[in-house]
Amino acid sequence: MRPYRSRLHRVLRLRSVTDGLARLALRPDERERIAQQLGREPTLVEWYAFDAQWSEHCSYKSSRRHLAKLPTSGPGVILGPGEDSGVLRLGRRQGEEYAIVIAHESHNHPSQVVPFEGAATGIGGIVRDVLCMGAEVIALADPLRFGRAGDPNSHACSVARGAVDGISAYGNAIGVPNLAGDVYFHEGFDENCLVNVVALGLVKEPEIVHSFVPKGAAGWAIVLVGKATDASGFGGASFSSGTLDVADDDSNKGAVQVPDPFLASVLMRASYRVFAMLRERGLVVGYKDLGAGGIMGCSAELCSSGGFGARIELDAVNAALPGLAPEVLAVGETQERLCWALPQEIVADVLRIYNDEFSLPQIARNACAVVIGEVTAEPRYVLYHRGEIVMDVDIDLLTGSIRDDLPVQPCVARPSVDPAIADRRLAAVQSQADLAASLLAHRDVASREPLYRRYDRVVRGATVIPRGVADAGVLAPIPGSPLGVALAVAGNPRYGALDAQRAAELAVVEAVRRVVAVGARPIGLTDCLNFGNPRQPEQYAQFLAAIDGLSAGARALELAFVSGNVSFYNESALGRAVPASAIVACVGACDDLSTLRLPNVGDSGDRLVLVGAHAGALGGSVAAALLGIDEGLPEVDLGAECALHAQVQGIGSCARVVGDGGALATIAQMLFGADERLGVRFTPGLALRTLLAESNGFVVVQPSAEPPAGIVLGTVTGDAVMQFPDESVVAVADLKALWSASLEDIYP
Amino acid sequence: MKTRYVAVRLKIPDNQAYTALVVLQRLGIALGQVERSEIYEREEEAGGAAELARRTMRDESVFNPNKHTLAVLEQNVPRTGEVWIEECDTPRAPNRPRYIGWRLFLTDGTPADRATIEAATTRLLCNPAIERAIM
Amino acid sequence: MNRRIAVLVFPGTNSEGETLRLLRDLGADAQLVHWSRPQELAAYGAYVLPGGFAYEDRIRAGAIAAHDHLMDAVIDGCAKGKLVLGICNGAQILLEAGLVPGTAAARRPTAAFTHNAPQPHFICRHVYVKLASAPMRSAITASLDEGALIPAWAAHAQGRLAAGPEHLAELVEGAHVAFVYAHPDGRVDEQAVPNGSALGCAGLVNREGNVLALMPHPERDAWNVNHLQRRVGEALFAPSGGAVLFESFVRAVQRA
Repeated sequence: MRPYRSRLHRVLRLRSVTDGLARLALRPDERERIAQQLGREPTLVEWYAFDAQWSEHCSYKSSRRHLAKLPTSGPGVILGPGEDSGVLRLGRRQGEEYAIVIAHESHNHPSQVVPFEGAATGIGGIVRDVLCMGAEVIALADPLRFGRAGDPNSHACSVARGAVDGISAYGNAIGVPNLAGDVYFHEGFDENCLVNVVALGLVKEPEIVHSFVPKGAAGWAIVLVGKATDASGFGGASFSSGTLDVADDDSNKGAVQVPDPFLASVLMRASYRVFAMLRERGLVVGYKDLGAGGIMGCSAELCSSGGFGARIELDAVNAALPGLAPEVLAVGETQERLCWALPQEIVADVLRIYNDEFSLPQIARNACAVVIGEVTAEPRYVLYHRGEIVMDVDIDLLTGSIRDDLPVQPCVARPSVDPAIADRRLAAVQSQADLAASLLAHRDVASREPLYRRYDRVVRGATVIPRGVADAGVLAPIPGSPLGVALAVAGNPRYGALDAQRAAELAVVEAVRRVVAVGARPIGLTDCLNFGNPRQPEQYAQFLAAIDGLSAGARALELAFVSGNVSFYNESALGRAVPASAIVACVGACDDLSTLRLPNVGDSGDRLVLVGAHAGALGGSVAAALLGIDEGLPEVDLGAECALHAQVQGIGSCARVVGDGGALATIAQMLFGADERLGVRFTPGLALRTLLAESNGFVVVQPSAEPPAGIVLGTVTGDAVMQFPDESVVAVADLKALWSASLEDIYP
Repeated sequence: MKTRYVAVRLKIPDNQAYTALVVLQRLGIALGQVERSEIYEREEEAGGAAELARRTMRDESVFNPNKHTLAVLEQNVPRTGEVWIEECDTPRAPNRPRYIGWRLFLTDGTPADRATIEAATTRLLCNPAIERAIM
Repeated sequence: MNRRIAVLVFPGTNSEGETLRLLRDLGADAQLVHWSRPQELAAYGAYVLPGGFAYEDRIRAGAIAAHDHLMDAVIDGCAKGKLVLGICNGAQILLEAGLVPGTAAARRPTAAFTHNAPQPHFICRHVYVKLASAPMRSAITASLDEGALIPAWAAHAQGRLAAGPEHLAELVEGAHVAFVYAHPDGRVDEQAVPNGSALGCAGLVNREGNVLALMPHPERDAWNVNHLQRRVGEALFAPSGGAVLFESFVRAVQRA
């Protein structure tokens, strides 16, 4: 790989070249509007501030009005999108209302160029988003999309390895268990991986800390806490808002974000101590993570969303090295920093907690908590540097919603395909047992254990169902309480490549089904929309279609999206965009953990029954990829979905979701986790299509005495083999060996 | 073919080197700077050191141009002020460094003397139960 | 008689919460003691070093924490016969501090828990550890049954016991190997060892038997709610499984 172009160099060039503004991501019309509103030529710092704040990444200028279509409120929602995280009602325990804080983001571009650091800082960022809501961080999830990583010398492989190692290094070190996640390997991600990250937090509802300053905050201190500001990550906001441009430039350090999970671990614990102090004193304050746009972006949003302005002294910022330019101090994206707005009377105590009790200056070079400015009644954002005003703008112009109305080109409907072709291909399968072997060894079906065994899934001692054991991970977040929280993710890129809208709808359906399968009650959703270039009308259209799909799915299930993220420009320099990737996370609540359904396959003689089956369309399935079948995506009856959940919850024993690899793969995996003497005899004459179709309801285990609740796929046997409808046979242990080993070459 | 050593070092801030510096200072060893390198063992082929450097820079399992800098060492021994730490019984693999190189500089910026290196090695940098130090 | 237990928190420690919770659920008088207050440690009768990544395992796992001021008090207390239990990162720190096996001077290690083999990666896996020394070999294991089999989670990148041949021989001769990895049915062989550890070792005890260093985490499989195969009707938060080791430790502290 080659290094990517330095933003720092752009700054240097800017200063010497009169037309340097051409290097900003801001378009000419936006620049004109800024100059007009200010009534003067902006300063260099102001240019960079607007470049960050008006970037797609910070402003959601091409997406905001469309995202408004998503359902975001409901009885389970305490806080919808708008702050650093959303908040969902979990349940009551001993008179206290407990809530789950959730955030979902992407760190795609940084992970593509510096996989370890990019993915690790993705975890760092999402954890701070949850932390700053006053929550204890309790779980992580990582939906990942990598390219074909088969060649160990390929960049795709080093991305797939480096990103997982980065997530593992950061998540393990800070001591937050990895509870859910998924991974796909698809050629559409050869040049652009997707690294999505989800974090969960636990908070009592009255103790939520908001990402804005409360009423009466004029004169409050703005306190910066964490790592010393350096030039790393300078230009990150507009970096992720531009197409990945790999150019020769050997001396870049700028946009690499350097993770320090050691510092993050200490910052988390120090913040918990501050939360405890705030509770004791009954104080309401503002706390926010520094993300894109750095000190400027964070402090401006913290203050403007409370209706205030801010005055910041850049000289007060703890910098890693002297002489940093004011624009670097203001908008650089150094990791592991957060920002408080605090009443003056508690500032000294907060500084003491961070700097003395938790000794930040000894943990990382120049790390500390420090007062950098104050909240002002006048709604202006003013930056001082060496006694001079380097920025002075209307704070609402800086942070207010700007929007881009971009042209859309309707999605081209795929020509309909003759299902007879697929039927011929299915009929031509020589041995269903051999097909099962290929299916289970497929990289999208194979055991994820080689990957997730690198993640600590049990730290904190609260894990009830670890990742990989069932369709969702489950925690007991409140010691002594039977309340549980479940988490699952979904978003199939093979579907996305065919139909953005249906793929998004099915992502909602699958994530929710996973939570239902373990016996939890779905309470809320998050989404991360990973798409190509919104200025390409056909790519923008996919994004809009996905929102329609998410909206339809969530409304049918009476669930809301409480947090989310949009990641555009996931395209290569040649304009090849990733498959449409609307990735969904679903949170479930469990009122009594002893009613959870743990995975099992029942006992010899039990029936395996498919409930909620559709007509069996194979489009986008693993089987379609293996057999060269071209069909439309499965259609799910959204209107019947809630009733299906109730039916599945009513069936006492185990239920598993039919996902990648169809019911065949589901049943195989049920066997792999069970007593090794068990096997399955599939119903003779059962259509192969029924076993291979994906997004195809649930497989439930029913005793043979009960009337079957759906299509009887087969019967559990005691002979340790799978016998297929065509009478072909394979030993369960042989299939398991293939399934277990397939990802070992990428993750040895 | 001859064996050459290639030192790969982070050009982004190196937390590990910083912590080593702080702890060694706390142990009373007067240092001004610590640099940490991963030392890989490679065979030099036609084209000499320059070609070896180019080849190593293309190997993504050890080098990423966005975060690393690389040097083919002149001699197959630690540089002035440097100690190499080798794990005794860890299996060798091409994508694992043969040694970790710790390069120590005094407060005036000059490379550390042997006594200082030995003190740092004994007190912190080497666990003799599992590692061997080469100075 | 001092029954108070201190759970040490180094910067980067991450398992202090569940460790403290388990000790208290078992009736112990336990408190967290934080790295900024090392002077408080002398007032405690026993120490627990929980898991995590003290100083992010920089240089070597446990190497920097072994020089932390918290360890001055632990080294001192250890010499006075106080009971010390280190889990995972805590175990690594005890080895780096030279307290286990304790055959040389403090902070002069003769063994280490180091990079896993054959793959050096972090591994998170459910395991069983089996008591390999006589229960009375250490006060900490005195309440366990002979050959007790304890469920736990291995969660480490550096958990492989390594030492030179003479030191390994010393570990065997001195009966320092307190725990080995085992299969769920109690069998002991190489396949049960998740990390290539020498002697299949999961835990080591010092010569006097008052200091135990154990790599896997019994405290993460220590309540009914953690057990995948739990039986219906049991109290979700009753200690069980891996709790037996902590129970034995707490009893020893209360006896001392």
